[in-house]
Amino acid sequence: MDLSQVLSASQIANALALASLLTILASGLALIFGLRDVMNFGHGSLFMLGAYLSYSLGGLMNFWAALVIVPVLLGAIGVAFEYLAIRPLQKRTHMEIALVTFGLSLIITQLIVKGWGPTALSISSPPVLSGSIDLFGKPYPVYRVFLIFMGFGTCLALGYWLKYTKSGMHVRAASQQPIVARMMGVNTDRLSLLVVCLGTSFAGLAGVLAGPYLSVDPNLGASILISCLIVVVIGGLGSIGGAIAASVLYGFIHVMGSIHSPTLAVLAPFIMLFVVLLWRPQGFGSGRVT
Amino acid sequence: MMSAVINTPTQAMPAAMPRRDSSSQAAFWLFWAAVVILGLFVPSVVASKYVMGVLVNSIILGVAAVAVGFLACQCGLMMFGAAAVTGSATYIFAIAIARYSFSTGAAVAFTLFATTALCAIVGALIMRTRPLPFAMLTLALGQMLKSLVMTTDMRPITGADDGLPLTFSGTFLGFTQSQMSKPESFWPIAWLAICGVVLLAWAVGHSRLGQVLRAITANEERMRFSGFNTYWPRVIAFTLAGFMGTVAGLLAGLHQAFASPELLDFLTGGNALISMLLGGFGTVLGPVLGAVLFVLGQEKFGSSGHLELLTGVGVVLVIAVFPRGAMGFIHDSWAWLRGRLPSKKKEQARAAD
Repeated sequence: MDLSQVLSASQIANALALASLLTILASGLALIFGLRDVMNFGHGSLFMLGAYLSYSLGGLMNFWAALVIVPVLLGAIGVAFEYLAIRPLQKRTHMEIALVTFGLSLIITQLIVKGWGPTALSISSPPVLSGSIDLFGKPYPVYRVFLIFMGFGTCLALGYWLKYTKSGMHVRAASQQPIVARMMGVNTDRLSLLVVCLGTSFAGLAGVLAGPYLSVDPNLGASILISCLIVVVIGGLGSIGGAIAASVLYGFIHVMGSIHSPTLAVLAPFIMLFVVLLWRPQGFGSGRVT
Repeated sequence: MMSAVINTPTQAMPAAMPRRDSSSQAAFWLFWAAVVILGLFVPSVVASKYVMGVLVNSIILGVAAVAVGFLACQCGLMMFGAAAVTGSATYIFAIAIARYSFSTGAAVAFTLFATTALCAIVGALIMRTRPLPFAMLTLALGQMLKSLVMTTDMRPITGADDGLPLTFSGTFLGFTQSQMSKPESFWPIAWLAICGVVLLAWAVGHSRLGQVLRAITANEERMRFSGFNTYWPRVIAFTLAGFMGTVAGLLAGLHQAFASPELLDFLTGGNALISMLLGGFGTVLGPVLGAVLFVLGQEKFGSSGHLELLTGVGVVLVIAVFPRGAMGFIHDSWAWLRGRLPSKKKEQARAAD
């Protein structure tokens, strides 16, 4: 096989499309972990809830309305999550909170099955984005290009917020040294409410964006959660930059692998995970929110 | 200080008087030996096939839950992907029989050896990580194995999503395939297996290895400074848990004579973890009790389709309200009934951990 076959423009774009979804999800996961030390095993089911809500809202109104409303709704769920689960259990170990989120994910998944049924739903992309464009001489779906822009745009915005605003600086400070940050007058409770909301609404955003790209069924949450966990572990727990790099790497390995050997595509992320953990157990990134 | 760290099974053994007393120790062993022997006669007392089916399923799940609980209690590690171990044991057993025509006994021996060896290798890699990545890695491992057995390349070996139905050649310990498929005649194997696994978990918990493991969990750095190797004991613990998980997978394989990708599913492993949490992992018998409760719940609510919903609610409630599970609750009530309030000091020390 020649190189052009291995790395055609449309395959690179496919890899980036998958990566952009993962970056949104993984950065949300990394944010919550960085500030609250909570590994949210319910992130996948929140993502799935976002996709299902966008299916219903898309039917009632349209895709663009869903793109705005669903993240807001998921943000509200984030408020409930913070007040009803994270704060009352603050004194418990990481593991206990992780188990609670695992239980919550079972509940959300079952509520979804009750509400929308167990069969796969398909969501069509909005008319503006349903065509295809010319990508280096080959047609390519516009929707995926939109997905890539949305994914990386969101991450750039997040990076800007963390790096150049006061509240972003507080988030970085609180996730590195929570006690010192509190001593310096940072309200870490309010900050963590903000961050948990942001994390869950990112999951909702990713869910809306994933609707027309993936098939929406009740297994979506578990499968994306596994990919996300791999990405955040490889990227370094709590590191957003690391999570983005790992998402891109994951996207490429997945897309390239599925063209040449489906078996390899299945195994590659896990092999990568084990290699990274052996070679650098803390992951690529410098850990925490940086 | 150590009493807070060591969640040993002594708390759960009602017969455990001060252990230095040799006559009460003999009574303790006699009591449990009698339980084991009397347990063998359960099928002659319980006439209902349905109840026997529930009991055998609880035992298969219970063995897996003991394995998960062992790791949780001794190492503070939560094995989210217990299905990775139990499922691969069933698959290795199935492949040995269906593809390489092993006799049943040889396949059992091969599975015990091969799966435990694999667990040792995986443990050597996985034990380098912290508890949280550990939970995620075991979860990922199970998912990887599930995807792997379902790929088309593996179809000639694993049967992909059709699974592998098995026809045993020869008997296992004198049991034929049809005997093992019936809960009442499979009972002795299952009962002795769970007694063996519980004894193993209890013995390791009371050995020097168990003490070292719990001390590492409490403060790894201090143990390293004190000159202990903090890596190999944990690899051994993972391998032991892997062995117990293998027994659970083998029981499932012998009883159901079928291997399917669902065995490796996230939720199958979740069942063992949830049983352990329900029962409480501070004791060896807690996970077994949890498995019985879980299977009863499954029978009661499984048909209405509310099982997973209730499971989720159950997990959240148990962690929030009864962090020590049903066994902890029973233990506390027992102590309270005897007029001995659960010692406040212990509770405080546990909260401080």
